[in-house]
Amino acid sequence: MAGKSGREISASKAVSLKDRLLTWEGALVLVLIGVQIFGLVISDNYNAVNVLREMPKYLAEIFMLFGMGYILILGDIDISVGSIVCLSATMACFAGNGGAPFAVVIFVPMIVGLLCGMLNGLIATKFTELPTMIVTLGTQIIFRGIAEVSLGSGGSVSMKDQSGLIAMSKKIGPFPLSFFFVIIAAVIFITIANRSTFGRKLYAIGSNRTAAYYAGIAVQKCRFICYALLGFLAGVCGLFLLASLYGANTTTGNGFEMEVIAMCVFGGIATTGGKGNLIGGFIAAFVIVCLRIALGQRNINTQVILVVIGAMLIVSVLIPAISAAITKNKKRKAV
Amino acid sequence: MAENNGDTILELKDITKIFPGVKALDGVHFNLRKGEIHALMGENGAGKSTFIKVITGVHAAEEGKMFLEGKEVRFRGPKDAQEAGIAAVYQHPTSYPTLSVTENIFMGHEKLSGRMIQWKQMNADAQELLDRLDADFKPTDEVGALSVAQQQMVEIAKALSMDAKIIILDEPTASLTANESEKLYGIVEKLRDEGKSIIFISHRFEDMYRLASRVTVFRDSRYIGTYDVNGISNEDLIKAMVGREIKDMYPKEKVEIGDVVLKAENLSRTGFFKNVSLEVRAGEIVGLTGLVGAGRTEVMETVCGITQADTGRILLNGKEFNPVNPKTAMDAGIVLLPEDRQKEGLILTWGLGRNVTLPIQEDVAKNGMNNEAKEREISKKYLEDVDTKAVTIFQPANSLSGGNQQKVVVAKALAEDGVKGMKVIIMDEPTKGIDVGAKAEIYSIMVDLAKKGFAIVMISSEMPEIIGMCDRIYVMCSGRMTGCLERNEATQERILELAMAESKEVSA
Repeated sequence: MAGKSGREISASKAVSLKDRLLTWEGALVLVLIGVQIFGLVISDNYNAVNVLREMPKYLAEIFMLFGMGYILILGDIDISVGSIVCLSATMACFAGNGGAPFAVVIFVPMIVGLLCGMLNGLIATKFTELPTMIVTLGTQIIFRGIAEVSLGSGGSVSMKDQSGLIAMSKKIGPFPLSFFFVIIAAVIFITIANRSTFGRKLYAIGSNRTAAYYAGIAVQKCRFICYALLGFLAGVCGLFLLASLYGANTTTGNGFEMEVIAMCVFGGIATTGGKGNLIGGFIAAFVIVCLRIALGQRNINTQVILVVIGAMLIVSVLIPAISAAITKNKKRKAV
Repeated sequence: MAENNGDTILELKDITKIFPGVKALDGVHFNLRKGEIHALMGENGAGKSTFIKVITGVHAAEEGKMFLEGKEVRFRGPKDAQEAGIAAVYQHPTSYPTLSVTENIFMGHEKLSGRMIQWKQMNADAQELLDRLDADFKPTDEVGALSVAQQQMVEIAKALSMDAKIIILDEPTASLTANESEKLYGIVEKLRDEGKSIIFISHRFEDMYRLASRVTVFRDSRYIGTYDVNGISNEDLIKAMVGREIKDMYPKEKVEIGDVVLKAENLSRTGFFKNVSLEVRAGEIVGLTGLVGAGRTEVMETVCGITQADTGRILLNGKEFNPVNPKTAMDAGIVLLPEDRQKEGLILTWGLGRNVTLPIQEDVAKNGMNNEAKEREISKKYLEDVDTKAVTIFQPANSLSGGNQQKVVVAKALAEDGVKGMKVIIMDEPTKGIDVGAKAEIYSIMVDLAKKGFAIVMISSEMPEIIGMCDRIYVMCSGRMTGCLERNEATQERILELAMAESKEVSA
């Protein structure tokens, strides 16, 4: 049944350099460069060595970015990760103080995180009619509640034997160890999202869940995997956070979920699902981290920094709307 | 093409409407007489919808004149058209689903006393309008709870409440069952007898023959002609619409019938269907018909693993088969063309190529990584095979017309067959809402598939295509199989009888 009209449909895609730069990711690279210039202008101490020295306390959060990116691409959301960070870091401290060797302590937060993520995934996939925002709001309160109960009246715990954690915060040249882990994680998770069949499934589910199901995709299985993965990465975040804080308290990880979601959205990943690229989220994370370091070096109040980041976030989601309005206006004038 | 200006109510001359880059209407004419039902036909994209929007004041035409009762008019917006007595009713009514029937009817022209709404008066008036239409629902009912047919009636009542002289019906029968269509015909005829002038847009020839006295045909944004319905043959009309002759609308061929491939035994799903049995052989095209809501789609959904039956069993090539999800059904060789291609069949924001290869991406992947080059090659081949009107495989699916979107869904199924080798193809309303040219192409693809030895099930509400294409026809009514007709014994009457055999218990 060859095409009767013999019409040819093009299958070649030529992407020019200009097209590449005109993407959101391209724009973010320019913003990242802009932030470096901004840093150099406002602070005398803003240089590569100092930035890398201050980076570890922010790097931990970036691990969660990838899992959150997957969840948002699916059209889901998870706001319990801040609490998972707190619970997993707390449990790691208890394990370490209880005499477990550091080789075991490393795995405790990851396992705690994984279990928390699996619980989120289980509820989200068994009761698909529940909004995941509410499900994870519930588990957010539960996980932090468990952490607070375990921490008891003091509300904090610190690792007695810090030798393992000190080893983790070692540097290779000017680079902190966690920097390499983040880069490795980025390569793996971005490749999976953009090049693998699993990544394609996530975009399919986020774009049209029904059509994805009809096309034979195990929608609920994919969602469960992503929730479990994000929980696991929150545990990894908890571990690396310990390496710079040496302990946990009731406010550990507070607000991390929103910061991570903000990085994703600023990076162009839509909360409505199916849209965006983890590369954008990854660049956006460094834009925010560098901005914080630069403003921090000038002793600008943390609260002010939050205002700046919030404003950037709103502008970033407004830009597509504004450009659409401009194109529409142009068309109207052309008619 | 007789002209009779004496009783012409609406006339449009040389209307041209240009959108950036396209001429949506190119010098078209239209003439509507008082008290006539005038059909407007043409393929998808012929310009019918744009034309209606010009009449209703949504779009302003760049060129051309419009005369209402002999006087030239120029509408600046929909409100002007409304005040001039022109109302439109669409296929999917754009009403307010959470409000009552009365509120919908009087939206925008509520009956007021001072600033207070006169509910009592409005409800009484609404009841009167509904009585005129023989409606079987109350003014206080919530519109969202009504069927599509009833919602259309609300829209018609709304048009009447505004004292419309000209009523435009845009594909009103597309989502209606045979019964509901029949009722709509009655209402439209009644409105005509009351002196209303009606423009009726439809893809269904039955609608036109049943109702219209004249028919105007558009093709490729141009006016082709206006004909008396009695004076034009089916073939000539199709030729006018498509621009070429379609020799055989239903190119059904005799193919060798093989063994039973798919067999369902006493399938039941509480609340949907009960004790349904059927079998389909290789090379056979089997029809599954009945009124909308008879459970046809639901039965086939259990075969495709989308939902599960409570009792009964499914056999594939003689072996028991339990499809727990769509993937198991697909791996076993069953492919579905879903009824709602926009919601179930396609990811509209994705490129055509990715849509086509979505179900087979894992089969062509290497180590879990997408084989993009191979996918492009496959999608290009199958999209060209079904003659999709597209420029590149990267253009999003929502840039295509309904007929071409359906071809993408077909290409998706063919690609699955090409890569994995499928056995059974289930087509749920494969020609719903697509034009006559694309329909004929879908039918010829079906015949090709039958020749290749596929077992084909076609779910359809359209009698002519069921009778024209199928070897055997299963008929369902209220969740039960009421009968099975051979090709030579199938007539519209027999099918309808079985489709409405509500009380009678007939087993297949």
